[in-house]
Amino acid sequence: MDATALIRPTYPQGMSAMKRLLATTALALTLALAAAPARAQVLELAVDASPAGLDPHIVTAFSSFQIINGTIYEGLTAIDKNLAVVPALAKSWTVSGDGKAYVFKLVEGATFHDGTAFEAADVVASLHRVLAKEIASPLASRLAAMDKAVATDPHTVEITLKEPSAAFLSALASIAIVPRAYEANKDGLQRAPDGTGPFKFVEWQPNGFISLARHTGYWGKPLPKLEGLKFNIAPESATRQIGLASGQYAMLPNIDAATALQLKGRPNIKLQDTLELAYTLVGMNASKPPFDNPKVREALNYALDRAEIVQAALFGAGTPAGPLSPALKEWAMPLDQFPCATHSVARSQALLKEAGLTTPVAFTLLVLPRQDLKDIAQVVQAELGQAGFKVELKIPELGQFVQDWRNSNFEAFLSINGGAVDPDDNFYRTFRTGGSTNVFKFSDPKLDTILDAARIETDQSKRKMAYNQVQTMLACQGPAAFISYSQLYTAMRTNVNGFEILANRSLATLANTSVSK
Amino acid sequence: MRRLKGRLLDLIVVLFGVSVITFLMIRLIPGDAVAIMLGANAEVTPDRIAELRGRIGLDLPIATQYIHWLGAVLQGDLGVSLWTRRPVSAEISANVWPTIELTVMALVMGAGLAVPFGVMMAWLRGRGWDVALQIGSVLGLTIPSFWLGIMLILALTAVAPELQLLGYVPFSQDPWGNLARLLLPAFALSLPILANLARLVRSAMLDALAQDYIRTARAKGVREYAVFFRHALRNALIPFVTSVGIMTGYLLGGAIVVEQVFAIPGLGRLILGAIAERNYPLVQASILVVTVCFVVVNVLVDLLYAAIDPRIDG
Repeated sequence: MDATALIRPTYPQGMSAMKRLLATTALALTLALAAAPARAQVLELAVDASPAGLDPHIVTAFSSFQIINGTIYEGLTAIDKNLAVVPALAKSWTVSGDGKAYVFKLVEGATFHDGTAFEAADVVASLHRVLAKEIASPLASRLAAMDKAVATDPHTVEITLKEPSAAFLSALASIAIVPRAYEANKDGLQRAPDGTGPFKFVEWQPNGFISLARHTGYWGKPLPKLEGLKFNIAPESATRQIGLASGQYAMLPNIDAATALQLKGRPNIKLQDTLELAYTLVGMNASKPPFDNPKVREALNYALDRAEIVQAALFGAGTPAGPLSPALKEWAMPLDQFPCATHSVARSQALLKEAGLTTPVAFTLLVLPRQDLKDIAQVVQAELGQAGFKVELKIPELGQFVQDWRNSNFEAFLSINGGAVDPDDNFYRTFRTGGSTNVFKFSDPKLDTILDAARIETDQSKRKMAYNQVQTMLACQGPAAFISYSQLYTAMRTNVNGFEILANRSLATLANTSVSK
Repeated sequence: MRRLKGRLLDLIVVLFGVSVITFLMIRLIPGDAVAIMLGANAEVTPDRIAELRGRIGLDLPIATQYIHWLGAVLQGDLGVSLWTRRPVSAEISANVWPTIELTVMALVMGAGLAVPFGVMMAWLRGRGWDVALQIGSVLGLTIPSFWLGIMLILALTAVAPELQLLGYVPFSQDPWGNLARLLLPAFALSLPILANLARLVRSAMLDALAQDYIRTARAKGVREYAVFFRHALRNALIPFVTSVGIMTGYLLGGAIVVEQVFAIPGLGRLILGAIAERNYPLVQASILVVTVCFVVVNVLVDLLYAAIDPRIDG
């Protein structure tokens, strides 16, 4: 899932150090004092932001994604906790020898929440809806390889691709299937979502809560144990934490390390964690000085002490980053394969000298306004300072950041990029010449050739070799200095059972969750 | 009546001015609605962004957008929320009740308690209790309501963990739950105005007590409590009522913070969220509604003058 950056900051912007101190004091006291019984079979969750809408093809920010993915909506495939592609609404599939023709057998007996039966025509309509120009879905590029989709019988869909695509099955996991009636309906699902998932939408009190109820006609077995889910929207971090400590909320899903550490070890609260797919990075503008010079980019990489950043800014809850998350075990190369993963101020200074630059090399670093990233930025500023860079931090409001980011209006930025389970999703759109999120304006014909070939390659070992090459090329001289993968947490009351945190932030395992008395 | 007419004219001018300023200000903030909704790192091509912008009408020149909007508003149509396509009027009416309840409760608590406290402070002037109350009122003025809110939640969850303190339930669904949940935030919200107004009543009372008519009253042999309540208090109430009108504005502002802390889905949260996602029609309409409330309260205050002081022409 993308749109990482729309995660709202943990603390509201502009919350002063004093405010935080006061809030923390209050919290520490509460957490020490409060303890309460949990209640009924509706799971009370607290989230920080009200979603912009609930149409799965339009709103891709995490604030919407975590409420609808795997709960209200399902795709043909799904991503499990090991990040493997598993069957969902498609119970099985076959792929032709040339890798271009897929035949999906659909589950039988599934119904949408409005009562209509789920059939192949709904799949075809959903795929067309994502691709339709009027819908303008940000997910459209996931289906770029698709040529056509045909329903051959009510439970079979044939999809033909223009060229083989190794990432196609994982891409399908992010395409929610909606009733065919919505194919040309732009706005209907934003307020009243309608899917096949284990929970159906009941009510949305704007800024208050979104409640879901068990879908009694759910095709998957067993039926969800919970009667329903209630996503309470509580923008204050302190309020969410007090709510969990007092038992009013049973779960705070997908929280960062700073929040999790405040809750750790408190009575009746337990934590789950996993390594995120998303990575923090310093992105560099490859179209203008000083970062148009690969040597300067390399110098910046050597100047970063990633282990120190993880310790100082993430409270140790993370791991130094290479181009792919270590969670992608099949693909990620070990960090020691990249020379610049070893911090070296001397090497960095030498590279700046080779580049013919006089130190200090001054530039402005645009920072995404989120607490953990602001903390990282300060450590990065100090580390780069030692190597001969002079960094000025600019922390704008979110809207301004997004605008500057999208228009490549920066020398360098510090942000977080959403990761995906297939390397093609991670690299192609971000690093290929002209890629939709290649805001670095980076262009390397050799890399383009490898990326183009690897996305249509179906032989796993050849793909692996290609992506090793890509990782090596990007690790030290690419336009992104990969900093860290954070640990992602979910905090819950100890009587919540069966939940499993997923690295892509989906809350699909709520279908198997129960609350004991 | 003359005053009322003048005030109505004022209202129209204020509303027009506020609408123009809001319209421009929200658009001057960098980052437009489409960019915000997609966020950084969403994979979208420029033509899809253009498509989305066109879909919500952002591709027109600003002046045209304003005229379209104004025309619709004059016909009673506040527009639709950018992404949910729900009428703005529905969004506002869903969020306005918690805020009205909260402000009215806070106003009743603050203004209601300020009079006895202020009178008590004036009565006890110069004595130990007056000093204690004065210190208390300075504290009340300076404690930030968000912190007070958190401390109150903390204290109550410690004493009675089974209490439901966060969020909101409509009065019609659960009257007791509704009041119980609003009591704490209303108190947190009212404390600064309680402190402020109590100090004001005290000094207005002391002013009034120094007037000639008080001496006359005492000389006539009017009993001290009658001097206090019938003569001094009535005169002290005029600046008090003016301030209450102004305080309503502070309350609407303070409600934003308190709604954040107590997770109450009110107008403050609605506006804050709408600004964050650059939901232009929603911001414009909500601010108009708040402006109308503010102006109407001030008109009511004007009318109250006449009731308190017959010399003022109603």
